[in-house]
Amino acid sequence: MLSSALLENPLRQGLSSGRVAPPCSLVIYGASGDLTARKLVPALFELYEKHLLPVSFNLIGISRSAISDEDFRKKLKEALLQSKPQVSDAIWNSFSQNFHYHAGGYDDFKVYQALAVKLNELDEKNGTVGNRIFYLSTPPNVFEEIISNLGAAGLAKEEKGFSRVVIEKPFGHDLDSAKELNQKVREVFKENQIYRIDHYLGKETVQNFLVMRFANSIFEPIWDRRYVDHIQITASEDLGVGTRAGYYESSGILRDMFQNHLFQVMCLMAMEPPVIFEANAIRDEKLKILQAIRPFDEQTVRTHAIRGQYGPGFLAGQKVPGYRQEAGVDPQSITPTYAAIKIFLDTWRWHGVPFFLRSAKRLPKRTTEAAIQFKEPPNLLFKNNMTELSPNVLIIRIQPDEGITLKFETKVPGMSMEARTVNMDFRYGTSFAEGTSEAYERLLLDCMLGDATLFIRGDETEAAWAALMPVLNLWETTQPEGTFPNYEAGSWGPAEADEMMEKPWRKWRKL
Amino acid sequence: MSVPTAQNIESDLTGLWKIDQDSHLSQSGIRRIYTTNLVAYASDHEDGYRVEGILGDLVQYHPGRYILVRPAADTAEAPLRYYVSGRCLSWADPEKRVCCDMVKLVAQKEIIENLYGFTFSILVPDLPVEFWWPGDMPYYNSFFEHMAEQLNRVWVDSSKFKDPVQSLARLAAFWHKRYPKTNLADMNWIRIQRWQALIAELFDGEWSKYLKEIKQVTIEYGEGGTPLRSFYLACWLAAQLGWRHHQPRLSKLTDPLVFEGPNGSVEILLKPVPAPDHRADRIFAVGIVTQGEHAGIFTVVRDEDPHLVIARSEVNHQLAFSRVVTFEHLHSDDVLAIGLKHFEADPVWKKTLQMAGSILVHPDMSLEKGSKG
Repeated sequence: MLSSALLENPLRQGLSSGRVAPPCSLVIYGASGDLTARKLVPALFELYEKHLLPVSFNLIGISRSAISDEDFRKKLKEALLQSKPQVSDAIWNSFSQNFHYHAGGYDDFKVYQALAVKLNELDEKNGTVGNRIFYLSTPPNVFEEIISNLGAAGLAKEEKGFSRVVIEKPFGHDLDSAKELNQKVREVFKENQIYRIDHYLGKETVQNFLVMRFANSIFEPIWDRRYVDHIQITASEDLGVGTRAGYYESSGILRDMFQNHLFQVMCLMAMEPPVIFEANAIRDEKLKILQAIRPFDEQTVRTHAIRGQYGPGFLAGQKVPGYRQEAGVDPQSITPTYAAIKIFLDTWRWHGVPFFLRSAKRLPKRTTEAAIQFKEPPNLLFKNNMTELSPNVLIIRIQPDEGITLKFETKVPGMSMEARTVNMDFRYGTSFAEGTSEAYERLLLDCMLGDATLFIRGDETEAAWAALMPVLNLWETTQPEGTFPNYEAGSWGPAEADEMMEKPWRKWRKL
Repeated sequence: MSVPTAQNIESDLTGLWKIDQDSHLSQSGIRRIYTTNLVAYASDHEDGYRVEGILGDLVQYHPGRYILVRPAADTAEAPLRYYVSGRCLSWADPEKRVCCDMVKLVAQKEIIENLYGFTFSILVPDLPVEFWWPGDMPYYNSFFEHMAEQLNRVWVDSSKFKDPVQSLARLAAFWHKRYPKTNLADMNWIRIQRWQALIAELFDGEWSKYLKEIKQVTIEYGEGGTPLRSFYLACWLAAQLGWRHHQPRLSKLTDPLVFEGPNGSVEILLKPVPAPDHRADRIFAVGIVTQGEHAGIFTVVRDEDPHLVIARSEVNHQLAFSRVVTFEHLHSDDVLAIGLKHFEADPVWKKTLQMAGSILVHPDMSLEKGSKG
């Protein structure tokens, strides 16, 4: 995609930094928070180092904390130096020369009026030509307030340049709140100005799904119900809730992981090839997948969705507390920290193929992957010689150890006809020495460039919530069956999850 | 040592990696993964060591099969010998580990002339093949000719050209006619890309209107060297901004350059500045002056701190903006690593070379292959 900077500036042509963002101001709400210091500013710094951040760039942090511009910059610098200790004062000062801070309540309209004046001044002074991005890195309960005030202050209008809003997850708490939030945001911003962020989509390996599927001809012909037995998507964490108990108690694993990350990965795995590589074409195809999720009823929630919560256990030899013993957690909490869901997509391509989605905290390791298990070979040819042939599995590892593995059968050398499963591995780490970019780096750049491909459209969020609501409703209104907590920290989750696999050859992958 | 055959080399390499896999290193996930073939030629024994060192460092960027061809130091040596080795680099991150195969072919000069077929036979199939010719451009060399005809891309390093004007003019005049299917790349072009990026940045967005008003460009380079990089930069600016060179063709790179721009003539001065010997030809500063309604000064200057460069602009005698960026010295392996990252042909480089060809005196074609009857 050619950026406007490139189109206007012939000297940009052919440079590796050709995908440079146009001049703009980035306004971060919740700027004193962790995300700004730990993710957003380091991502901006990477863009700066790669000559992808425009020379005309302003960052304005807004938050309730009463700190000065200087203290704001100092805090960001300290955070950056933790990951990049080599950054010199001269470089930092240059990078942060147009960083500003504005203290104020999100409900105080005067703050927005002052912001409008400040942005105009900076446009004049630094040549940012009226291009603005408003990044909402605040608790979700103030999203509507901020957006409404931005609208009232005239900051959503695209008169001189663009005006975009980036909204961090969670986007809504359920279907109704997501619809309401969508409506409120759309009253102020048009859909093409709204960038709902899911940092999973900024990961290199998630983007590689599209390249792997649609830039190779060998996968797509077997990517359907005729050859695929089932698909497993797993996102496991070895950590517990840590300091996020307050948030987690009201969200749980379904809101935290399924509605956004896992559903998005499933969409990329299952969607039809878009006609063009363009934001809406891709998002149209993802939406079709979300809309094709076979609706759950009470019975299928009971059989196709397993919830769990970790009790005390051991991780790496260390005793760790159970969820109910974590600080800030209700001792009687039924909040799920584990969920496994079997999903059927009612599409021509995927009819009858189950998608098993699993995510949990306090499993033995942190890993995210999608695995396509192909149907078993008929085994007619070798039935007298071999006891069992394993099905082929194609595994796309998202983190850690990003890469792709194909498991297939091969003959063991020797006089007998014996087969063994072997792995054919592709690893980013051994094929490309260059490190993969941080997700926020890519997503911030895309937003500046107006490329919404890796952001979620409003109808996608609603479709995802709609699919998940029957499970959420039942889980939040009924006590779990059997004992709860039902899995030990450091184990692979409750045994009930195995039952949903139905067939003897289907097993949760031990990662 | 085994008889030099493709089979023996493959077999030795397989054995080499098998030993490694059987050792404790197998735990850290050794895999023979190739993303490229790179064939390098060294003109003599000494150059061979230098090139081998650079290839050894290059593995950290591009796992692949590297083949180094060099002449034997002594005519008493065997007509052709080979050596295989493997090299792996690990990072703190246990998943990050890249390896390469290295095959060194040492042959008598007359053997090398006809060694292209053998070299082709030990490439990893189905992967792009890069050919790095680190020395001066040869007038006729059978090995070079065959490699350039059949491989994907040839890397030259114009900083090594003994007669840069003649060699550059030759490349501009004949390369794409003689080797239409083979991309040409110059390591010196990679070396100036960071300057290009910094200059380009100064003219992004609303500042792009100043490009039409450029009147004078001064490029300062290290005294004592040939200002080839500066000349490249000048040609790049002229080619990208559509300037035309009307003056007589140049026989020296230091002659003033005058172009016809959209709003009148544009002068480019290549100015030597005192510099330590090893910095000869290095660019030290670029200053661009615009006039008329959009008068301004745009500069990119090396800081006293050798790791920093400052880009800044002044419009109407007021600072418009400034930016400080890191500017680490690029070694040859860094330059190649950057170059090998992108495989596509570089149309901007092609345009710049054409511009250079239109400015420099015509090359002496009587020395070219086939011209001597």
